[in-house]
Amino acid sequence: MLNHKLLEVENLKKYYLITGGLLARQVGEVKAVDGVSFYIKEGETLGLAGESGCGKSTLGRIILRLEEPTEGEIIYQGINITRLGKKELRRLRKQIQIIFQDPQSSLDPRMTVNQSIGEALLIHGMKDEKERAKRVVEILERVGLEAQHAWCYPHEFSSGQRQRIGIGRALAVNPKLIIADEPVSALDVSIQAQILNLMLDLQTEFGLAYLFIAHDLSVIRQISHRVAIMYLGKIVELAEKGEIFQNPLHPYTEALLSAIPNIRQRKKARILLPGSVPSPLNPPAGCRFHTRCHRVLPICDKEEPPLKDVGEGHLVACHLY
Amino acid sequence: MTNRLKNIKPIAQKVGDVKNSIFITVIALLGITLLLDIFVVEKIFNPLTYLYIVLGILFVRYGIPLLYTSRRLIQYYWQRASRNKLAVGGLAFILFLILLALIGPLFTADPTAVNFEEKNLPPPGFTLEESVYDLKTGQFITNRITGTTQHPLGTDDKGRDLLAMIISGARVSLQVGLFATGIAIALGTLIGVTAAYLGGKMDNVLMRFTDIMMTFPFFLLLVFIVFIFGPNLALIVIVIGLTGWTGTARLIRSETLSLRTREFIMASKALGASDGRIILSHLIPNVISLIIVIATLSIPGVILAEAALSFIGLGDPTVASWGMILKAGQQNLDTTWWVAVAPGIMLFLTVLAFNFLGDGLRDAFDPRSNV
Repeated sequence: MLNHKLLEVENLKKYYLITGGLLARQVGEVKAVDGVSFYIKEGETLGLAGESGCGKSTLGRIILRLEEPTEGEIIYQGINITRLGKKELRRLRKQIQIIFQDPQSSLDPRMTVNQSIGEALLIHGMKDEKERAKRVVEILERVGLEAQHAWCYPHEFSSGQRQRIGIGRALAVNPKLIIADEPVSALDVSIQAQILNLMLDLQTEFGLAYLFIAHDLSVIRQISHRVAIMYLGKIVELAEKGEIFQNPLHPYTEALLSAIPNIRQRKKARILLPGSVPSPLNPPAGCRFHTRCHRVLPICDKEEPPLKDVGEGHLVACHLY
Repeated sequence: MTNRLKNIKPIAQKVGDVKNSIFITVIALLGITLLLDIFVVEKIFNPLTYLYIVLGILFVRYGIPLLYTSRRLIQYYWQRASRNKLAVGGLAFILFLILLALIGPLFTADPTAVNFEEKNLPPPGFTLEESVYDLKTGQFITNRITGTTQHPLGTDDKGRDLLAMIISGARVSLQVGLFATGIAIALGTLIGVTAAYLGGKMDNVLMRFTDIMMTFPFFLLLVFIVFIFGPNLALIVIVIGLTGWTGTARLIRSETLSLRTREFIMASKALGASDGRIILSHLIPNVISLIIVIATLSIPGVILAEAALSFIGLGDPTVASWGMILKAGQQNLDTTWWVAVAPGIMLFLTVLAFNFLGDGLRDAFDPRSNV
């Protein structure tokens, strides 16, 4: 079962056009996601890490088709969802769900929890109010809340509880894949652990697959099976979790890993990246990372390295290998 | 909890069925009355009464259940709003005014009863000195008229009781305020939400149309329409409503624009919700607070507009609105001053009360402000 590919993303691109001037001419484009390919197997978690602005969240939203891709293909269980019409898409929607970063704005402030989760059930055909209320209580209990919480409004919860409600709403329609868009980065550390454990429990119970987007590598390490590292709209390295944390190949991954605080190792050699992420409006030629790389080669600013397999499914896009 | 739910729901279902059958019966009865009214008997109710009955039925059928299910949210906002004493005072005055308009006419004299014996009576405690030419002696004598408690606010130059006129004027002014604002808000919300949610070309078309409407001199239009069709209160209300939605549309649009990118809207889309569902069950409920505030703040403007129209002589002469009384009174402001003062004070207090309430509600609904 674990070997079955649930979702396949093929050369996905999202360019935002920038228009300006009197006649709204196109003056440039932001390459938010620029040719990304990966797959997620059933019941597996793919961690997606990268700095802010590298296109992680955009990628998540494109997979849900909350945004339309500029180019590329998304294949879910053999169905190409980039070409689906509005109606077919709505039918398929319940199989892929999303959990958002900000639990404050991901719940409608004017709806009780019963209404918010009930809406998910209603859309997918559970017309009977009584039945819905019963199911909502089941869901709430499953995500660690209590039945009487169903009649409360979002402002009456803590952010950890709200995130549980958000997970409950996604779970209500029995999805197979959940896009988790930085689900714990707005929570404090003790709550983070609770939410991560809940997500792991739900994964074993329902066989969920996650695309887990985060910028916190220790969180990624806890929950992922495989990890993809993104830089400026491209995946630079993708491998099994153990492999990427033990044997990082791409200089960017190395730098990221060296930045993880460690209690045991007081003085660790940190790789400091000079400068900040270049603008995706005008990315550097050749390898996009060469402007900040500590192991730069002469070829790096001329030729873009392809993402290639260096053994055992360890993919890396770097001229060093 | 699950057990409790099991027990409660069947009862709720039964209540729902009974409610529905009562609702249908009442509507049917009303329909029969209307048919009788048109074809058999004349004038059981006048058209406005029908409107009120329909609104009342809709409120009982849909409004009260809605208020009931969101009672805790209302409680929460009331708690916030009630900390503003001016707003509470404003609300109290408005409720008092509504009560006065509803049942006041039952207790007062006929506001249209003319009685020249008792003309120009001042309020009790005041006297009016009037020079009268005495036909017998051929001399001017000074007549002292003292107010009586029978006419607590005095009478006008035709001997009509001013209190009764003010109370019937309250009815007119409130009707004008509520209906004109109702039309304007409904249009503004529809246009604003649609423009913001659909975006793109639709947004452009609707908003440019709004801009054009905004530049239209609405007062001139009113004067023009009154000139053509004659002064008719219903017409005035409709024109104020049809021209007054522009500001609302803009405010609602900008609010909706910020709402539609919020994550709960995206979550709804991800769940496969249709555009209609998103507009009706997420966007509109979330701009309701703004709508209430805009409505409260625009009612006084409408009331004043009607008063102003009456004052310049373009009001409906068949109804004694406050503006009409004010206009009648200002001609003799030096002698019978009370005729103009009474409606003036009422207008002032009403406008103030609505503004205080609107401000209070705005603060209570604003999540950023800690009242």
